[in-house]
Amino acid sequence: MTVDRSVKQSNYPPGDLAIWIFILAELAVFAIFFAAYAFTRLQHVELFNEYQLTLDREAALINTLALITSSYFVVRSVSAIKLDDRERCVHWLLAALTMGLLFLIVKTFEYVQHYSEGVNLSSNIFYMFYLSLTFFHFMHVIMGMVILAAIAVMAARGRYSRQEHTGVESGASYWHMVDLVWLILFPLVYVMR
Amino acid sequence: MKQLSDYLGIRPCTLVYLLLIFFSLTTFLVGQMGFSGLGMSLLVLFLALIKGQLVGSYFMGLGSVRGLWRWPVFIWLFIPGILIGMAFTLSYQ
Repeated sequence: MTVDRSVKQSNYPPGDLAIWIFILAELAVFAIFFAAYAFTRLQHVELFNEYQLTLDREAALINTLALITSSYFVVRSVSAIKLDDRERCVHWLLAALTMGLLFLIVKTFEYVQHYSEGVNLSSNIFYMFYLSLTFFHFMHVIMGMVILAAIAVMAARGRYSRQEHTGVESGASYWHMVDLVWLILFPLVYVMR
Repeated sequence: MKQLSDYLGIRPCTLVYLLLIFFSLTTFLVGQMGFSGLGMSLLVLFLALIKGQLVGSYFMGLGSVRGLWRWPVFIWLFIPGILIGMAFTLSYQ
């Protein structure tokens, strides 16, 4: 049994294979979005450069640090459950959720600010991309937090152990995907010009 | 990465975390200091791709996977990375 698991672990990614199919599909959609942004910018370089300056780069940095930190906390939660330390696993997951919540709060403030300035999807092509890309990602953060919360509850109830923690690894992989997407989105939309 | 983290007396994931923070702050400073141009854009893109690969290998655990499953994140970073780099290069011509 142990031998089978070690072979499986070295040939397949951590977590359930189904979540990886889902992750790859999500990544493909974001890749198309990023390429569309970059090539659309080609036709409107000045407009993209001008309106990029209206974005709150400091808020984006806070969000970047929040997501990276939450991803790190999730890594620690997986390490904890592999040591059969359920309590610490739950604590790390709650810390990761707190960072996720910080992301949502900061991003919501950004959206409120834009809304109060009259910015919407039809303002111009830059804002159309900015709002749709970041909101699509925002929805993924919410979904990731729901998954992490469910895992935290199940971990607290003793559902996971050193022998069986596929659920924790699956949720962790999804959350890292959310982080991964933001790591490209942040420089592309907020910095590169 | 593991040997370096051993030398520093920290976990590999902690070292990766610190590198991610450092690269993110560098990216932010490039924007804040008003640096622009093709070279800076490609540098920032390159840093983002490095960060993505670190997340894929060390946080997602793909660095210790054999075979096909080792590569999806690398390929995902490579293809949009090339396309974005190409689009930005064309915008300067």
